[in-house]
Amino acid sequence: MMKQLFPKQHVMGFVFSLVLSVVALSVLAFDMSYKMGMAILLVTAIAQASVQLLLFMHIGESEDKKTLYTNIIYALFVGVVTILGTLLTMIWGYQ
Amino acid sequence: MESHEQQFLILNEPMIVGAMISIVVGALSILLGLTYFKKWGYLWREWITTVDHKKIGVMYILVALVMLFRGGVDALLMRGQTAMPENGLLDAQHYNEIFTTHGVIMILFMAMPFIIGLINVVTPLQIGARDVAFPRLNSVSFWLFAAGAGLFNISFIIGGSPDAGWSAYFPLASLEFSPTVGNNYYSLSLQIAGLGTLMTGINFVVTILKMRAPGMTLMKMPMFTWSVLITNVIIVFAFPVLTVALALMTMDRQFGTKFFAMQDGGMDMLWANLFWVWGHPEVYIVILPAFGIFSEIISTFARKNLYGYKSMVVSMVAISLLSFVVWAHHFYTMGHGVMVNSIFSITTMAIAVPTGVKIFNWLLTLHKGKISFTTPMLYSLAFIPIFTIGGVTGVMLAMASADYQYHNTMFLVAHFHYVLIPGTVFAVIAGFHFWFPKVFGFRLNEKLGKLAFWFITISFNVAFFPLFILGLNGMTRRMYTYSESTGYGPLNMLSFIGAVGLGIGFIILVYNLYWSIRYSPRDETGDPWDARSLEWATHSPVPVYNFARVPKIKELDAFWFAKKNNQPLSDGPYEPIHMPSNSGMPFLMSGAFFAAGFCAVFSWWIPAIVFTIAIFVFMALRSFEQDHGYYISVEEIERTERELGGDKE
Amino acid sequence: MKIDESLPLEYSTEENRLKILGFWIFLGAEIALFSTLFAVYFALENRFGTGPSAQEIFHMPPVMIETILLLTSSFTIGLGIHAMRLGLKKAMMTFFVITLVLGLGFLGVEIYEFVTYVNEGATIQTSAFLSSLMTLLGTHGLHVTFGLFWGTSILLQVRKRGLTPQTANKSFIFSLYWHFLDVVWIFIFSFVYLKGLMVL
Repeated sequence: MMKQLFPKQHVMGFVFSLVLSVVALSVLAFDMSYKMGMAILLVTAIAQASVQLLLFMHIGESEDKKTLYTNIIYALFVGVVTILGTLLTMIWGYQ
Repeated sequence: MESHEQQFLILNEPMIVGAMISIVVGALSILLGLTYFKKWGYLWREWITTVDHKKIGVMYILVALVMLFRGGVDALLMRGQTAMPENGLLDAQHYNEIFTTHGVIMILFMAMPFIIGLINVVTPLQIGARDVAFPRLNSVSFWLFAAGAGLFNISFIIGGSPDAGWSAYFPLASLEFSPTVGNNYYSLSLQIAGLGTLMTGINFVVTILKMRAPGMTLMKMPMFTWSVLITNVIIVFAFPVLTVALALMTMDRQFGTKFFAMQDGGMDMLWANLFWVWGHPEVYIVILPAFGIFSEIISTFARKNLYGYKSMVVSMVAISLLSFVVWAHHFYTMGHGVMVNSIFSITTMAIAVPTGVKIFNWLLTLHKGKISFTTPMLYSLAFIPIFTIGGVTGVMLAMASADYQYHNTMFLVAHFHYVLIPGTVFAVIAGFHFWFPKVFGFRLNEKLGKLAFWFITISFNVAFFPLFILGLNGMTRRMYTYSESTGYGPLNMLSFIGAVGLGIGFIILVYNLYWSIRYSPRDETGDPWDARSLEWATHSPVPVYNFARVPKIKELDAFWFAKKNNQPLSDGPYEPIHMPSNSGMPFLMSGAFFAAGFCAVFSWWIPAIVFTIAIFVFMALRSFEQDHGYYISVEEIERTERELGGDKE
Repeated sequence: MKIDESLPLEYSTEENRLKILGFWIFLGAEIALFSTLFAVYFALENRFGTGPSAQEIFHMPPVMIETILLLTSSFTIGLGIHAMRLGLKKAMMTFFVITLVLGLGFLGVEIYEFVTYVNEGATIQTSAFLSSLMTLLGTHGLHVTFGLFWGTSILLQVRKRGLTPQTANKSFIFSLYWHFLDVVWIFIFSFVYLKGLMVL
């Protein structure tokens, strides 16, 4: 029963997300450059999001998976453009 | 300013009091008329509670036409005020309010709903669907839009209109410089209408992706449907940015946050940035469906298939992505450096490439076509050269260094009217004439239609071409008057004459509506233009279930080839059709939105919270509701088809 | 209503499939919404005026509790959907209840965190940095709050009506929403708190 209720995929996903959170925490524990820290945060955050999307939200299971991936990629494109573009126009490129 | 400070009803402006009285009289006479002719039940059953995409579309267009006249009166007042130097028709404050409401209404409450109305009427028919994916949500979308439009429009009699421009830049739009409730109306009414638009976006993306008739692959969709798909994708990803921007505006003005403040770390230009991150894609939201409409009309009346179908699709996809990376060209002169301006200058010019591809495709579709000059075709033909002027001046503005000369002059005003009027307005009018017989079963009168066309097209150029010259001569936009020595007088007078002509053109258009309803001969065929796509394969007016049998599609323009080859698009017996049931809940919920918004405008928080709770109660009621729609029986389908003149396909 | 037996209940009707796709697209819009809030936060994070900076007010312990609560709730709702697909109504409901309780716990800690900030003199009106921080966190918190009500209403429906194509569809869509909120939190955890506390 326990095996049935706790499928391996989900348990692994959960463990993985906890581990990733701890890895992200390491940016506070160790003395490292800002760039290095940001790189770690980016990698762990994207990995975590992928765990949720792929293992928990089953993005690839339905007949519409191409649409779903396109949707997420388009949203990320707009999101990244909004964030980096805002920083570019308001901070980095502002005289 | 003093005269406008915090009064509830605006009673010191004779013009506004006059408008107020006419609104009250008009509303009362409508209410009395409905009661006298016992039409309340009809109105409620057939329109207010409807989930039928065709009726929702008609309601969108009806509101859009009313808003066209509201925004048009604003425009006439503006041009009237500036027609002569030192004119005293409007004072500065009133002029500020008028140009603000003109912009907001024309873009968000005229162009958007007109387009969304046409999308509603046409798209499900073009893909051979029975309705949209979420019919109830569609009704919510419309009523939220109506609530937003209503809230925005009452501002000028209750509390005062917004006065910081349609782009509401900070710090001008802040509480400090705009102390009336006008900009609260702006943020809250656009928020409510914007929610409706976002839902429309999701609804139509799903409808087009999932509900096409069997055999209609993406690359066999009519071009208008393609443009609708791309437009709604842009809506889905652009409108959340507006949602955030407006929420921050509300918080800054009403809760004392410091996002766009001048002190405590606030950044006033961040508003302009967010506004245009949404605002530029918004431009493409109103222009892409117009491209789709022109594609359908040009191909129909040139009696040719659309030239370069694939390149049309590719260029629209390219435009949808590029539309998100050009926004900073709206504020080249506001302090960022050479690198930023260069990047946005290049992306902006790049967007002219896919647009140019489309222009050539239309020209090549016309090439060697058997062109019939109907009213919708005239608008489409006039669109091409006029829009090109708008496009070319756009490339001039795209050059950041040159823009330092043009910025905030009448040149810019001329440019965007040269894009939006032939682009969006001509398109929706052309589409209105084109699809009118589909919805109502008779055509609009061609003679009156053409008369209106010539009035509108010629007057448009008379009204707006002088503004290019005035702009180059240094006249800035949004100034309520000027001295005679500037020499701006004659051209402004010319522009005013053009504006009056435009007004007459639109009145002829509405008169045509009246005339045609009374006298126009009924169309029995369902296909009065000998057109190409699926909406013409069913009866006019379209029965509630759209198609008695779902058509089967083998190629692009399947209906055209079915006609030419005399092959039916579908066969076999009728089957019972599943339809969604009507509901009054979207209307009532939007009422709660309107009430909550109105109270929030005046910071009456307790009633605002009560009405907000009411909104959530409606959502909960919907969640617990068990409603699986109803079936139309085979007998009823047979009866309806007989009454409409027999089986169609 | 045609029911396709070969698919899980939540996908079994045409209407259900439309709703799931529609909700995914809504989540796309939510990505755009939160990206904008992040953009605002990043633009304003160093503009704290005379108020406190991120380094001065962020404390990791409550944030870690929030993270663990939300990550676990995301795990349990996944188990709930898994149980639902096995047709185990009771197990599914138990996992949903655990999820909502964890969500409530998250919200409690977040409210505690806000109260602490306000007590330290860091209100939403203090500076642009705090306005953007509290709006970002608040929007996420409001989503969680809405989710608690929504999840409860779905639980009531499952209890009353059992696992039908409709209730299964609603439960599945709710699980997508909940996982999404966890994803947003991960980004807040990484790029608001950890980035804010990183020693430069």
